[in-house]
Amino acid sequence: MDWTLWLELVIKALVLIFALLGGFAYLTWYERRLLARFQSRLGPNRAGPFGLLQPIADAVKLIFKEELTPAKAYKLVFFLAPIMTLVPSVIIAAVIPWGPPFQLGDRIVTQSIADINVGVLFLMSIASIAVYGIVLAGWSSNNKYAMLGGLRSAAQMISYELTLGLAFVVAILLGNSMNLTDIVEAQRDGRWFVLVQPVGALILWIATLAEVNRHPFDMPEAEQELTAGYHTEYSGMKFALFFMAEYQKMIVVSAILATLFFGGYLGPWVDRWPLLGPVYMFLKIVILLFIMIWVRATWPRIRYDRLMAFGWKVLLPLALAVVMITAVGILLAEINPWMIWLIPIFSLIAGAFASLMIDRSLRRKAYA
Amino acid sequence: MQNEWLYIGLFLIVGVALPAASLIMAAIITPKKSNPIKNSTYECGMETVGDSWVQFKAQYYIFGLVFLIFDVETVFLFPWAVTLNKLPLFAVIEGIVFILILLAGFTYIWRKDALEWA
Amino acid sequence: MATTVSTKSVDLSTIFPDAVIADERKGYTGWLVEKDNLIEIATYVREELDYDLLSSVTGVDYLPEEKMEVVYQVYKTTGGPGLFFKVQIPREDPMEIPSVINIWPGADLQEREIWDLYGIKFPGHPDLRRILTWEGFEGHPMRKDWQEPFYEEETKPFKSRWPKGEHIHAEEINPYHDNLKFPPKFNPENWTPTDPEEALYTSLKKFTTKNEDGLEAEQIIVNMGPQHPSTHGVFRAVVVLDGEKVVSLKPVMGYLHRNHEKIGERNTYLHNMPYTDRLDYFNSMANNWAYALAVEKLMGIEVTERSEYIRVIMSELTRIQNHLVWVGIFLNDLGAVVTPLLYAFEERELILDIFEEVSGARMMCNYYRFGGVVRDMPVRAFEKLKQLVYDRLPGKIEEFERLLSENEILLSRVKGIGYLSAKDAIATSMTGPMLRASGVPYDIRRAEPYGIYDRFDFDVVTRPECDLYARYHVRIEEMHQSLRILEQAVSTIPEGPILPKKPVYQVRVPAGEAYGRIESPKGELGFYVISNGKPNPWRYHVRAPSFINITALEKMCVGEKIADFVAILGAIDIVLGELDR
Repeated sequence: MDWTLWLELVIKALVLIFALLGGFAYLTWYERRLLARFQSRLGPNRAGPFGLLQPIADAVKLIFKEELTPAKAYKLVFFLAPIMTLVPSVIIAAVIPWGPPFQLGDRIVTQSIADINVGVLFLMSIASIAVYGIVLAGWSSNNKYAMLGGLRSAAQMISYELTLGLAFVVAILLGNSMNLTDIVEAQRDGRWFVLVQPVGALILWIATLAEVNRHPFDMPEAEQELTAGYHTEYSGMKFALFFMAEYQKMIVVSAILATLFFGGYLGPWVDRWPLLGPVYMFLKIVILLFIMIWVRATWPRIRYDRLMAFGWKVLLPLALAVVMITAVGILLAEINPWMIWLIPIFSLIAGAFASLMIDRSLRRKAYA
Repeated sequence: MQNEWLYIGLFLIVGVALPAASLIMAAIITPKKSNPIKNSTYECGMETVGDSWVQFKAQYYIFGLVFLIFDVETVFLFPWAVTLNKLPLFAVIEGIVFILILLAGFTYIWRKDALEWA
Repeated sequence: MATTVSTKSVDLSTIFPDAVIADERKGYTGWLVEKDNLIEIATYVREELDYDLLSSVTGVDYLPEEKMEVVYQVYKTTGGPGLFFKVQIPREDPMEIPSVINIWPGADLQEREIWDLYGIKFPGHPDLRRILTWEGFEGHPMRKDWQEPFYEEETKPFKSRWPKGEHIHAEEINPYHDNLKFPPKFNPENWTPTDPEEALYTSLKKFTTKNEDGLEAEQIIVNMGPQHPSTHGVFRAVVVLDGEKVVSLKPVMGYLHRNHEKIGERNTYLHNMPYTDRLDYFNSMANNWAYALAVEKLMGIEVTERSEYIRVIMSELTRIQNHLVWVGIFLNDLGAVVTPLLYAFEERELILDIFEEVSGARMMCNYYRFGGVVRDMPVRAFEKLKQLVYDRLPGKIEEFERLLSENEILLSRVKGIGYLSAKDAIATSMTGPMLRASGVPYDIRRAEPYGIYDRFDFDVVTRPECDLYARYHVRIEEMHQSLRILEQAVSTIPEGPILPKKPVYQVRVPAGEAYGRIESPKGELGFYVISNGKPNPWRYHVRAPSFINITALEKMCVGEKIADFVAILGAIDIVLGELDR
């Protein structure tokens, strides 16, 4: 193999990892400042201008904190769990295309670590692995809150995994490929999949919220119930790794959502200046993150059994229906291209029907 | 194409090295003053009673089983979705019938109250 | 206006001529009941006379007469004055009085408190453990012959702190050394906190359940608290969980116990006023009023007209800010980070501004005095008040409703959760919004109007749902009603003196007993004060709504999810300063 290839790979990997790390650090700042604005207060503004050095201060504090391992814990798993949680959240970013390829000297540089033909499948499988770290963290702590948090996250993640998979199928159907670059390219000329299949995008967004344990689905770490959930016993750097994993997952799922439904790196003049691609991705991710934080600032938490019921009884049937509608619509579009717009119409009808049925399907069977 | 997977493998190594390095760094830097009280299990300040590694409620497992069935079936949809345009009409309808079968099984589970969190 | 309620008092001594005599000590009312006939008479009072709400049970130690007394205060939820009956027993161990828990389940925690603080046993009580002090505690601290560590003197002001006119800290002189007492063979170094807990855990019954499919699942005991983010302080509930479901629950309290009542008996009457602030620190204005009411009843003095209005204004403002904070914290318990809480605090701060202008303190107001209030309301505060009442608060409360009341997630979290039927609510002595949310229109401002509440036009808010949804709505609607009262009070407040006569440091309180109760934002807040003519109260008892409303916690939680436990506890609206006293 060519040594330049190695160099390219190492540079790309380092850039991506440091971008994710910096993204994580400043996402915490972004979230705290935003939450503060939602709550009519200021947020961190002491460390550096606008509190921009706050993440660094936090990092220093966490590094110097004493790490405790409970005497009753299963030590090896307890040590490995944070790593197992963090790694998937990093490597899942490997297949995301951050921009179109560009010419550097006489070689073409792609703006992704790996451009594999089963990118969507890769996303799906890595997303499933992420739950292991959390479950094992909860189990190995030998703590009741952590145990409950771990179990909750396991059940919750597998419930929304299905919906996530089906939402991926929608994107595959529309993009006609499992390669993420192909899916992005299929959205050229403003034909973002969110316009063709808005309900699919919504389903994917809800499922990813549940996958990354974000509000209002943050059961595994529900502070009011389980103190801190699966990471109750973790402190210092190990806790920081969980924290890091959660925020990196937020960034990555926003990137996935942007790639699959919001045109990925596409935007004006991106073909002339390929380095605009990451900029567009950044903007789209920031907007999607803003919505996530907005949700956190405004909504109460759904109760656990409701969350499961919502995933199974509302979201999953809706996702199946949306897959069918999309498939039929694509076939009809071959007869007449305008038929493609039957997809959003019918899926919106299905979505409206599902939301009308929410109350019915979630109603408690036994009343005290 | 083989290269691409190699890239991911390399990226994985970097990805593992990152948390490992930070844990090692923390292990060097952090103060180590543990005592039995600090290392006791946290339960809101009380001594914990009973074991937390117990036979837990079966509800969680039922969801696990249901998931297993559906997840495998969902994965079958992936190749079907990729080649939708190239498939003959028969295969497309077969795919839709497959989804309907999924739905039928799903309805069965629903009616059996397996999705009810009691 | 106020509905007419029966004011006819019942003559128990003609019904039970052998067992009941009228309490004829000077300044006392009620009936003295023979210990052996207590159950019979209590059943009669409950069943035939319809006194369904056991407001307060408390002990009194008459050391000079060598007697212990337990006082029962019962009311009708349809309104009207209460019925007091007392049981006297000789003051020598073992002291036993049959438990009335089967007649009024609301006696549960209160009888445990009496056992803990006075050492009177209640045969028939299923779970008579100590409640406010810990299991290994030596002695019963409310007894008059019990002396605390660093004990100096029986009553304040302590002479030892001002020898020759100079101040000395009590800790420096240690007049009686530290006076610490431990149980025999007790070694604090070796003591582990698990032993006394066994009684608690065994009372919870651990067992395994078999599911329908034959799989066995074990239940686990989880301590929610004392160091838990959502128990509103150092409250602890031991929960038995089957998966996510609550199977059984016991509240544990007393972590913040400071023997408020003993302190109150050491203090002079006026000393106690700032101490009442520390009970429910959100509602110091309400606490002041209840205490002032009891002492005014003893002293037999009238409150000046202007002060009556100021009292109503302050009390209703307190109610609004308490309910605002409650809505915020309740939403926080449901998991809505802290946004609603901070929105609520914004309005609360404006109300606290007014408190600050009239009393000098935002939370510990210490504003009421016997016969009035400590100083008049400044003009600027009055202008602020008008602006708040007419312009700002109505819109803000509606904004809360608009933002929250229709929220789908909120509704799914509160509807049908924490069911407590009207019958159970009355039986367990629930008061305040908790009782009204079960559909019982019982509001002391109407049932037995105090102050000048009979002059104002307002509705007693009830909801029929008996669940969290009802408790949420009752509080929102009560804020509207409070605003109605405030509007009337602001527009009709007269000029005039605020105190009937020159304020004095040492009030003369004639011997007797009095029970002053008000509708505090959390429920019925009562002060039971006994005077023997000396400068300090002989008995000073707080009937704390936070404490007694906890009685029904288990009933509401069993069968619900662990997440609902947090919401149900939050909906009771407890404040640990008042709960543990």
